[in-house]
Amino acid sequence: MASESENENVLLELRDLRKWFPVKEQGFIASRQVANVKAVDGVNLQIYKGETLGLVGESGCGKTTTGKVIVKLEPPTTGQVLYRGQDIYSFHTREDEMYFKRNVQMIFQDPYSSLNPRMLVMDIIGEGLQIHESHMPRLQREQIVYDLLEKVGLEDYHAMRYPHEFSGGQRQRIGIARALAVNPELVVADEPVSALDVSVQAQILNLMQDLQKEFNLTYIFVAHDLSVIKHVSDRVAVMYLGTIVEYGTNRQIFTKTAHPYSVALMSAIPRPDPRRKMKRIVLPGEPPSPINIPSGCRFHPRCYKSDNDKCIKEDPPMIELEPGHFVKCHYPEM
Amino acid sequence: MVEPLLEVKDLVTYFFTESGIVEALDGINLTVYPKESVGVVGESGCGKTQTAYSILKILAQNGKIMSGQVLYKGQDLVPMSEAEMRRIRGKEIAMIFQDPMTSLNPVMKISDQMIEIIAMHRDVSEEEAREIAIEALTAVGISDAANRIDEYPHKFSGGMRQRILIARALALRPSLLIADEPTTALDVTIQAQVLEIIKEMKEQFNLALMLITHNLGVVAELTDRVHIFYGGRVAEVASTYDIFTRPMHPYTIALLESIPSLDVEKGRLATIPGSVPQLINPPSGCRFHPRCKYAKEKCSKEIPLMEEKEPGRFVACHYWEEVEISDIAEEVIGSHKNKIKQKT
Repeated sequence: MASESENENVLLELRDLRKWFPVKEQGFIASRQVANVKAVDGVNLQIYKGETLGLVGESGCGKTTTGKVIVKLEPPTTGQVLYRGQDIYSFHTREDEMYFKRNVQMIFQDPYSSLNPRMLVMDIIGEGLQIHESHMPRLQREQIVYDLLEKVGLEDYHAMRYPHEFSGGQRQRIGIARALAVNPELVVADEPVSALDVSVQAQILNLMQDLQKEFNLTYIFVAHDLSVIKHVSDRVAVMYLGTIVEYGTNRQIFTKTAHPYSVALMSAIPRPDPRRKMKRIVLPGEPPSPINIPSGCRFHPRCYKSDNDKCIKEDPPMIELEPGHFVKCHYPEM
Repeated sequence: MVEPLLEVKDLVTYFFTESGIVEALDGINLTVYPKESVGVVGESGCGKTQTAYSILKILAQNGKIMSGQVLYKGQDLVPMSEAEMRRIRGKEIAMIFQDPMTSLNPVMKISDQMIEIIAMHRDVSEEEAREIAIEALTAVGISDAANRIDEYPHKFSGGMRQRILIARALALRPSLLIADEPTTALDVTIQAQVLEIIKEMKEQFNLALMLITHNLGVVAELTDRVHIFYGGRVAEVASTYDIFTRPMHPYTIALLESIPSLDVEKGRLATIPGSVPQLINPPSGCRFHPRCKYAKEKCSKEIPLMEEKEPGRFVACHYWEEVEISDIAEEVIGSHKNKIKQKT
């Protein structure tokens, strides 16, 4: 395919991805659709092999839904997800499908609800292998589980325990081991540390970085915490109301912040420094409902740069400010 | 010297559960002076919320204050009756909670949840109380408060509900506001709005604030003094400035090192091994010793006492003098020094 020959480093590509959830109203006989929640509304993005892409935004901006569409948990309304050039929602053969499912794994936000409470850790971690390596002898599979437990900082005897016997941080380690058991290429991590205490959060972030080197992983790291995103990401994409408003390298996003929303987001974060008297940009209002997306630039009702004319009427195109740094704004900061 | 507004002395609170006694608070000492803003910082299970609940005596049924004093304006709250406490809660010490979604009754209008309390505590008529409520809602940035006061909580977003709770707390003109993780459930841009409101309200009403949080950024921005909690005890007390520039307790230092920063490039995060202790069977001696890199034999045997190492600086550690500030912390602090230089 064309996209593949263009850049063979592209592992995953999102093309004009949309995920709308219908809002239904119960009528007398049947329910009818009255509106759409436009959770993801036109996302274009490329993910390169071996990088960590940070996807950041506030709740309801569509970052989790984007992650779910990528791992094939939610089919998109329109648009494509290309994995190694192939559309993941129209594989031709079962082999292709299984190859994709094996190579793209997910780590979930809540370590308490994402592990089956009735399964032993051994079975939780080994389940993927049972499916994808069904001919593998049991002993070999168990050995792989023990190796993984060691890699994520747990002990052999933990394999014969149930999830409730572990702390939040330990459970997240189990979730990571589960994702890595089938030796994937791409891991989508949805807020993997936001439910953890700060002292444990650092352990998990370091572990994820070590494993990335060891297994040559590509990460899509979904988070709302900008300082975590800055710490882990090679490239960063900022989402607002279902669409990406700015993306670029870590350095570009954090030192040459261009989109007013990104600027406000960064200034909103309280810094652990008592003498730093920052000029904070407090955005008025709240993110609008994704059912009624504002006209023109969807950020204009809260934007401090909005000119009340062009911004209301025209949806700004994605423009490239410098190589690799894209922004969707009529009046970017420069 | 100014008398403290609130003084918690050697407070011990236990919870009696089926699996054993949880030593949630084990000798907490905490002071809040009038108009001061005090941060209470720690990870989950360190006792920061239970301290607030003990002060107001709203502990769960299986919780009990075993010993200690809670002196509010010199008066001990611990032996007080429920009827007496009712006059303290809300009127003198108000509290706002972490989750704005569950702190309001979903089947009552906002007006019904505010007016009655105001009328009772401030001894005014219902009409006057309604006026006060509308005024308070307007002050926290609820537009068209006169009409919106008769709506139900579900019509308001999380940030708006937190504003309503702040308005409800402040309408009674308390002297002390306890805010338990007031912005944790909110998005950062909304958090910024709510922090601004808390700051404004504090100035306007001459409030003392006790801010409970795990977010060091919020603490740095809002507080004058900080109490660092660990495992049901206080590890360190100092001015916010000192905590961030010259931390003394190994736990405080480790905590500062382990957070990713927007301002300083950290190659690899420093970690604290292990996890937060279970207080059903807490570690002996210093509760931080199993995770502390300076721990020696003494630490597992003797409980370190809170001592004043410098005026206004309290540390509970046997070996605080040996504690070194690592490269990373040095870097963080260095970046602060540079900023001060740039400013002058």
